[in-house]
Amino acid sequence: MMENGFNRRDFLKVLGWGGTAVALSGCGNTSVEDGRETVNSYVEAADYVIPGIGVYFNSTCAQCDAGCSIMGKVREGRVLKLEGNPDSAINRGKTCGLGQAGVQHHYNPDRVREPLQRKGEIGVTITWEKAYELIAEKLKDVSGEEIAFLSGGVSGHLKVLLDNYLASFGCRNHFVYEALAPAVVRAANKKSYGVEMPRYNINKAKVVLSFGADFLGAWVSPVHFSQQYAQFRKGVDGERGVLIQIEPKMTLTGANADRWIPVRPGTEGVLALGIINALGTAGGDIAALVKDYDKVRVSKETGVPPGHIDKIAALLKLRSPSLVLAGSAAEGYAHGSQNAAAINLLNHVLGNVGKTVEAAAEVPFPQMAPARGNTAALKALNDGLAAGKYKVLFNYAANPIFTAPGGMKFKDNWAKADFKVVFAHYMDETALQADLVLPLDSALEDWGTHVPEYMADGAQINIQQPLMERLHANTRGMGDILLALIKQRRPEDYKSYEDYYGYLRAAMLQNKAALGGGGMDDDTFWSETLSKGIVKLAGAATTAVHSKAGATDLTLPAATQDAQYPLQLIPAVNVSLRDGRHANLPWLQESPDPLTTIVWDSWVEIHPKKALEMDITEGDIIEVTSRTGSVKAQAYLFPGIHPDAISIPLGQGHEALGRYAKGYGVNPFQILDAVFDKETGELAMHETRVKISKTGQRVIVVKDESAAGAKQIRKKIAGRMSTDNVDLSKEV
Amino acid sequence: MFRFLRLSVLFAVLFVSAGSHAADASQPLSTADDLGPQVDQPIEFPHDRHAGDAAQGGMQINCMYCHTYARRSMTAGIPPTQKCIGCHQSIESVRETPRIKKLFEYWEAKKPIPWKKVHDLPDFVRFHHERHIQRFYFQQGKPVQEVCGYCHGNVKTMTVARRTKSLSMGWCVSCHEKQHPVDAASTKTAQGPNDCWQCHK
Repeated sequence: MMENGFNRRDFLKVLGWGGTAVALSGCGNTSVEDGRETVNSYVEAADYVIPGIGVYFNSTCAQCDAGCSIMGKVREGRVLKLEGNPDSAINRGKTCGLGQAGVQHHYNPDRVREPLQRKGEIGVTITWEKAYELIAEKLKDVSGEEIAFLSGGVSGHLKVLLDNYLASFGCRNHFVYEALAPAVVRAANKKSYGVEMPRYNINKAKVVLSFGADFLGAWVSPVHFSQQYAQFRKGVDGERGVLIQIEPKMTLTGANADRWIPVRPGTEGVLALGIINALGTAGGDIAALVKDYDKVRVSKETGVPPGHIDKIAALLKLRSPSLVLAGSAAEGYAHGSQNAAAINLLNHVLGNVGKTVEAAAEVPFPQMAPARGNTAALKALNDGLAAGKYKVLFNYAANPIFTAPGGMKFKDNWAKADFKVVFAHYMDETALQADLVLPLDSALEDWGTHVPEYMADGAQINIQQPLMERLHANTRGMGDILLALIKQRRPEDYKSYEDYYGYLRAAMLQNKAALGGGGMDDDTFWSETLSKGIVKLAGAATTAVHSKAGATDLTLPAATQDAQYPLQLIPAVNVSLRDGRHANLPWLQESPDPLTTIVWDSWVEIHPKKALEMDITEGDIIEVTSRTGSVKAQAYLFPGIHPDAISIPLGQGHEALGRYAKGYGVNPFQILDAVFDKETGELAMHETRVKISKTGQRVIVVKDESAAGAKQIRKKIAGRMSTDNVDLSKEV
Repeated sequence: MFRFLRLSVLFAVLFVSAGSHAADASQPLSTADDLGPQVDQPIEFPHDRHAGDAAQGGMQINCMYCHTYARRSMTAGIPPTQKCIGCHQSIESVRETPRIKKLFEYWEAKKPIPWKKVHDLPDFVRFHHERHIQRFYFQQGKPVQEVCGYCHGNVKTMTVARRTKSLSMGWCVSCHEKQHPVDAASTKTAQGPNDCWQCHK
């Protein structure tokens, strides 16, 4: 009967009718939920909480280590947007783009929500009780020396608790690791000035000479420095400050400089000594040290024209005080300490120490002072793991499998520990290799105190309070986890603290007088502290800076040539993605890189001259090979880079972490050679040499800017007229 | 000859599927009397007892005593449980009645009462409680129950509130098109705003 089936005409006819029927039946206000949607009321509400009207609560930004104070707009129990807290001397009411994106860590769909235990290749959801039991069981038969704890920078009460926990089983293996910390500069500062991180007064300087310190972008405390920079540009005594940036790859700060001087990678120290020589004001040891660094030699080694050296010296003589900064581009070499020391020497010669380089205030609680991360710690851990020293390994606030240089073979060594616990926000590369993953509260759900590494005016302790209830029922704050773990070891000492909040409150109240709450009752002091979000410590002690220059026995090697690997690889620090921990935030992925305007991808910056030599066009996929490995990425022709160097931004190239990170770009950490600074043992990030080759593929580079200079794919195009000649009234 | 049959088979299938879709969809927006669905609340809150006339055994409590956010914010909100407890902790006479016992259970567990929403608008409509109360109650000096009643009906006679107005756009506009006195003393009148963007932002 139905051998013909329905013909197409019938089918369409019925479909037409049917469509109408569906449309009619489905036509209703489906977003109206009378009688079905629940409206939760508050149980108790503060007077100032009114549904529909936001309230700002103070807390501390956790996006980087600068320790900016923030206030979060909270409405109906949800945090909506973050602003800067005006009372903080660090950020004075401002935030950066990275800070703004903090809410996306909180609401991120890829957060880990349950404790997971490894069963073969998969993670099985377990309860927290089970997880704690498991840790206790694994720790039972190992000695303290066989346990290692790797963490990012920690400070405040969390550090106190962590130290106490590790001490409870005699473990001294706390490795504080930050992939991009200015650790060599810290060590050099300690020698030059007597403090690891002095206070830099950019606003009081008339000239700033920065050797690769991207203080407007990603260096130390960028929001604070940006504000100082604004004052510096307005000028001391009406004299507008002059910024000279010396670096092989242009950073955001370099782009803002009056004079950007590309220097041959690694010769920053030589240039610094050359400038001291050209100044001709130094005497004694220093004069002897710089005697041979005449401008002909320096110019030859650094590639900076002799005229430039003279001009810089003349400017520095003319305008005082000035400020010389040693940044990440100068420290990333096997002789990085020497570079930084030579640069710091300039501040002594120019008499800036005590004027624009001052002692920072210190928090009078040494146990709360920040444990500063570095890369030497990773090397120490890696060596220990390779030797099979550690059986149980904890990891918090670091992603070493992603950020360890390929030359270290960290992932293989990691596997040598029997039991690995990772405290994680996301299933990142490291969490994927764990035996137990414990999900953390977001920074906007957690309690804490933080002592910033870089102190602006006075000493301060920053308070972190939750801006919102937990989004996911089974995440925990790091403090709560540590408290639960330490209760396993020392139940008597910690039984009075129900949770980390209780611990924090008790610890703060114990020092009420020292924290400026003398005479206040406990509740008033505590609610004032939370409300302000900052505890300012008036009259905190400062360590004086050395006014005498430190060691002057510097040996600065000349730049080497390598025929097989002719180019220097500069792993650039992206303002937003940093070491890659923020790659899963779409706001940051879609924020164009400030200099190239490229989004959602990696690229290889190459000088147009070099590109012409190798017949490389923008968008060519090129292979970058080092002794350790190789990556492929699109070429971007960029005049702001030294012709002997190429640069790939860090932070992309994730194999895990989340949907917005995985599969975008390449990870240059993977091809970094394991070369270390000779003095501090820090990883020499800029010491990797590479060669490049074309793969023959080409893509269109996704970026905001268009081709410059009336050239499209190296073909000249003809313009019509310049826009300032257009009479818009006639155009319309 | 089977052509007609074929078509009817198709129609039958489609209507069945359309019918099942209709059953899945939301309940009818309004009944003939614009009466909303009867909503089961976790606690059957007696509006009549609290706000009703004294003659009917009511306490004549001002709406805004409990619904305190409505005059200050766009959102009316639901009073915090604290508000209920504030009075009820000292009203011994009803302390052991089932509803009050339930109320205290929530309070002692510090759990919010999961009230169901009775008056809802689509997400693309922005209704501002504060504006309406400022205008009609504070400026024109109308009785509060009348003002709230424009949209919420005669709540003082209800136990659990039930929607009695359609809250459709046409219904809103029917009032916005009327001339209302500017304030209690004035003879000047004005309309409510009729721009699309006033509500559809």
